[in-house]
Amino acid sequence: MSDNRIEGYARGLFEIARAEGTLDVVENELYRFARSFEGSDALRSALTDEQIPPAKRQAIVEDLLGGKASATTTQLIAMVVGSGRGRDLPAIIDNLVARASSVKHQEVAEVRTAIALTDDQQARLGAALVKATGKQVNLKVVVDPSVLGGIVATVGDTVIDGSVRTRIDQLKSRL
Amino acid sequence: MSVLGIIATAGRLISAEEHVVTDADGYVTTHSWILPETAEIIWGGLASLIIFWALFKFGGPAIKKSMAARTERIQKELDAAAADTASAATEAAQIRQAKGDIEGERARLLADAKAQAASVIEDGRARLAVEVADLEAKAVVDIASAQGRVGDELRAEIARLSSAAVDHVVTGSLDDATHQELIENFITRVGAGS
Repeated sequence: MSDNRIEGYARGLFEIARAEGTLDVVENELYRFARSFEGSDALRSALTDEQIPPAKRQAIVEDLLGGKASATTTQLIAMVVGSGRGRDLPAIIDNLVARASSVKHQEVAEVRTAIALTDDQQARLGAALVKATGKQVNLKVVVDPSVLGGIVATVGDTVIDGSVRTRIDQLKSRL
Repeated sequence: MSVLGIIATAGRLISAEEHVVTDADGYVTTHSWILPETAEIIWGGLASLIIFWALFKFGGPAIKKSMAARTERIQKELDAAAADTASAATEAAQIRQAKGDIEGERARLLADAKAQAASVIEDGRARLAVEVADLEAKAVVDIASAQGRVGDELRAEIARLSSAAVDHVVTGSLDDATHQELIENFITRVGAGS
């Protein structure tokens, strides 16, 4: 899909979420879904298979997110998948998140951890990143078991890697 | 008897007839039985001169020619013998020279053969020395390569086992408390590193 089309979809989803007054919630849910979409081959195949009718793909989304995400989030994802743009879903959502952050004069800070962070930890981590980068950050926490332990934080082009995975890789490299 | 002999005998008989003297007593006195009569000497001398002249006149050239031819034949034979002798001497000299040449050629061939054999042996030794040196160098390189390869394989195996052990040990030791500690350490470090 062209950048214009991705941007168009992102703008549309952004305006809908903002109109609904659930931008922050929808943004976070979409972001987590995008990361799950990227990390799951089965989910990606199911939502991008052209042989599966659009209605059935949308039904899969609703079954998957029903009760776990807001109705707006579920409907927005179902709309994108139903229109046959499931393959571009991560790019559309990333564009939406970047747009939302820009509106709030923030920069997206993607944080990957092996386990979920508490609200207190997220708050303190956000403050620490603000202090470290000098930017207001829009914290997006992704639970990624491949990290093994610790945290990997990416703010723009800056990557702060405190993961066990990276330390093990460095150790293996030295070995 | 030749004609000249007949003439001489006839002269002598005539002379003898004239000198037979019979004396009164009837004794017959004849000329000396040793010395011929004068006429016989004269006629005999004349006949002898005629004979010798005829011989000289008619037989001399033939005898002389015959003697000259004989002398010439003998001379030719002598010359031929001398030529044969010289030829034989030349041939003998050639044979001796050829024999000497053969000896020299044999010696030269033997010397060449010895020189070639020595050269071949020397070349062979030099080639063998080079080949041995090459083989030694190759062996040294192969040994070093094998040592390096074995070392690399050993290090790779150690690294592989270590990596697997690290994954296993670290993953097994990551309990919830450790996760929390890692997270807190990260937050503290990021906050302190501004």
